[in-house]
Amino acid sequence: MSGVSRHTVVLGLAAVALSLVTLLGLPTPLQALAAIAVLVLLPGQALTRLMPVTDFALGAMLVLALGLATLTAVSTTMFYLTVWSWQACVVTMGVITILACLARARQEAAK
Amino acid sequence: MSRPLSRHAGGAMTSTLDVVPRTEGRWKAREVWCAVAGVVSLALAVGAASTVAVPVASDLGLVAVLPFPFWVGVLLLNVAFVVALRGDAAGPARRLVMVWLVVVLVLVLFGTAAFVTDVPRGEVAFRHLGIADALSGAQGIDPGIDAYFNWPGFFALLATVLGATGLDPVAVALWAPVVNVGLWLVALGVLTGYLTRDPRRRWLVLWVFCLGSWQDQDYLSPQAFGFFLYLVVIALLLGPLAARAPGFPGFRGFRRADLAAWWRGRVPVESRPGLRVGALVVTLLFVAVICASHQLTPFMVLIAITALTLSGRVWPSRLPLIAVVLLTLWLVYPASAYLIGNPPLAEAGLQGATEANVLDRLSGTAGHVLVVQVRIVLTLVLWALAAAGAVRDWRRGRLDVRVAILAATPLLLFPAQLYGGEMLIRVSLFALPFVAVLACSILLPTAGSTHPAAHAAHGSTHAAAHAAHGSTHAAAHAAAHAAQDPARPSFRAAGALALACFLLAVLTVTGRFGNAQYDVFTDDEIAAVAAVHRLAPPGSSIISAAHPTPWRSEAYLEHRARTIDDMCRSDLSTATCGPLVYDFARHSPGGAVVLLTRSSEASLVLQGAGSARGLDELEEWLSAQSGVELAFSNADARVYRVTP
Repeated sequence: MSGVSRHTVVLGLAAVALSLVTLLGLPTPLQALAAIAVLVLLPGQALTRLMPVTDFALGAMLVLALGLATLTAVSTTMFYLTVWSWQACVVTMGVITILACLARARQEAAK
Repeated sequence: MSRPLSRHAGGAMTSTLDVVPRTEGRWKAREVWCAVAGVVSLALAVGAASTVAVPVASDLGLVAVLPFPFWVGVLLLNVAFVVALRGDAAGPARRLVMVWLVVVLVLVLFGTAAFVTDVPRGEVAFRHLGIADALSGAQGIDPGIDAYFNWPGFFALLATVLGATGLDPVAVALWAPVVNVGLWLVALGVLTGYLTRDPRRRWLVLWVFCLGSWQDQDYLSPQAFGFFLYLVVIALLLGPLAARAPGFPGFRGFRRADLAAWWRGRVPVESRPGLRVGALVVTLLFVAVICASHQLTPFMVLIAITALTLSGRVWPSRLPLIAVVLLTLWLVYPASAYLIGNPPLAEAGLQGATEANVLDRLSGTAGHVLVVQVRIVLTLVLWALAAAGAVRDWRRGRLDVRVAILAATPLLLFPAQLYGGEMLIRVSLFALPFVAVLACSILLPTAGSTHPAAHAAHGSTHAAAHAAHGSTHAAAHAAAHAAQDPARPSFRAAGALALACFLLAVLTVTGRFGNAQYDVFTDDEIAAVAAVHRLAPPGSSIISAAHPTPWRSEAYLEHRARTIDDMCRSDLSTATCGPLVYDFARHSPGGAVVLLTRSSEASLVLQGAGSARGLDELEEWLSAQSGVELAFSNADARVYRVTP
C-alpha cells in the first residue's frame, strides 16, 4: 500500500511477532517486557496514532493511558463473558493493535 | 538559549511568561554537578534505608530509625533540584537533568520502604493480589462476594498483567508505589503544561506534588490506577477539550440572555476537530474504565467535569451528562448487588465525617498522635500556601479559575461518605495536584519577588528604575538579565525554596511512613501467614488480631477472614472479647485458625485500641480453651488451630 509509513508497518508486525512470542513463552524478564509491550505499549501507541497528536508529552501520556484503559476494558469484558484467559487477552490486544494500524494505514494512504 | 518574552494564548495562569527550556547545547558544569548530586543523594538514601532493621521499633515510624545519611541525601537532593531549577538566564537545567532529579525523588520518597525490606507495606496490597488471583481462577464475576467484585476493572487488569508477564506478584506490589507515582507524574506533567508555559513552575509543581504526597494511596490498588486516569481526563479537559470563554457577564445585572450569549461565545482552544473528537472518545473510555474500577473516583471525575464545564472552559458541553449516564449504568447494573445493602449517602453528614476522618484518628500513643498531627499540619500548610497563591494570582489578574475549581471541588465529597474514615485522605490527594500548582505561586513567585529581575520585568520596581536612570551598573545589568528571564529566583529565594522543600520532605516521610511499626512486616510474619494458608482447610475461618495483616493474597474465596478488633471493637478485654472470638472460631464450619502477629498487636497498641498486656491475657485465655492448639510459632507470630 503506497503512502503507508514505515512506523505503521513496524508497529503492526511487532504486534504480531510479540503476541506470538508472548504466547509461546520466554524467560521471565523477557516475557515481562514482551507482555507489557504487546498488552499496553503497542496498542496504546497504535490507538494514539489515530489522533493528530503532535505534542510528545501528550502522546506519551495517551500511549500509557490508552494501553492500560483498553486492556482493563478488554479484561473486564472477558471476565463478565466468562471467556477470560491471559492468552485470550494477548490475542485480543494484538488484534486491536493490528486493526488500529490498518485504520492508520488507510488514513496515511488517503493523504 | 532564549527567545523573546511572549504571552501564551490560554487562560489567565497560562499568561505566565514563556521561557524555553534548554534542550540542546553543551552541558554546563552546574548541570553536571546537579546530576551527580542526584546520584549521590540516591546512593545515600538507598544505603541508609537498607541498614534499617525490621521490625521498626519506634511509634514514630521510619523517620525515627532512618540514619542521618538518608537525611543528608534528601537535603542534597532538594538543594540540587533548586540549583537546577534556578538554572541560568536561559531557564532551568536541561530536561534530562530535571527528569533525573524527579526520578531520584520518586525513588527516595516512594521507594524507601522497598529499600528497607522485600515485603510490601500494609495489608491491602496483599488482599488485592488475592482478589486478582481469585478472579483469574473463577468462572465469571460474582458481585455477591464483596464490594471488590462490583468494581472489578483494576483486578481484571492485574490478573491479566500478572498472568502474561509471569512477574512475582509480591515484587509487583513492592514496587507499585514507584510505578504509580511515575504514571501520576507523567499525567501531571502534561496537565501542568496546559496551565503554564514556565518550565520552572512546571518542574516545581511535580516536585511539590511529590513532597505533599503523604497520603500513601499509591500502593497496588484501584484508587491509584483510578487517580492516574483521573489526571489524564483532567489533562484532556485542560488541553484538547478546553474552551475559551468570553468575560463572564457577572451576577449584577444578570440576565438570561447575557448568560446564553456568554455560553454561545465559547470557542474551542484546539483548532483541529480530529484531535477534539479523538480526545472526547478516549475521555469517555477513561471515564467508563474508572467507573468499572473504583467506587469513589468516578464521583470525583464527575464533579470535576461538571464544574469545569459550568465554568465555560470545556468545549463538549454534554460531557457531564454522558459521564452521569455511564456512572449510573455501572451503579444500576454491575454494582447493584453492593449498592442494595450500602446506599451511597447512608453515612452522609459533616459531623460524622469529621469524627471519622479527624477525631477518631487522633488517638493512640504519643508518637502515633504526633504522626497524625504532622499529616494534618502538612496538609494545612500546603492548603494555606495554595490559598495565598490563589489570592496572589487573583490580585494580579492571573488566577486560572480552573485550577481553583479543581483544588476546591474534591472537598464537596468530604461530607458525602465516611469511606472508612479515609475520605479526607482521598480529598487531599485529589486536590493535591492543583494545590501544588497554586502553592507554586508563593514558592516561586514570578512577579513582585525580591529579585530585581522580576521587578524589572514588570517595569515598576526599584531595579528597573535604577537601571532606567543609570544609577548603578549592577542594577542595569540586573534589569538586562531580567529581560531575559524574569522568573529566575534570587539566591535568597532559592535558598528559602530549598529549605522549604527539605522541610516538606521531612514532614512527608514522617507522615507517609509513620505507621511503619505495624505496616512494615517481618519475614517471620510472612512465614506465619504462609503457615496459616497451609493449616486452614477450605471453608474454615482465619482470625487475625487486627489490621494490617499480610494475608488473603491467596485462596481469597476459600476462607472467611475476620479480625478480633472488628469482632470486639467496643471492648477488647479478655472477659468480653475472649468468649466472642472463641465461639466464633468453634462454630465456624471447618474450624478456624487464629493468627497473632507482632504487627497487628502493635497496630492495636499504637492506635489506642488495646494494650500489650491485655492482648497477652487474651491470648493466654484463648490458648487454654479446649480444642485450641498452638500449630506454629516464631519470633513475631503464633498460629492457633481451633477445631470445631
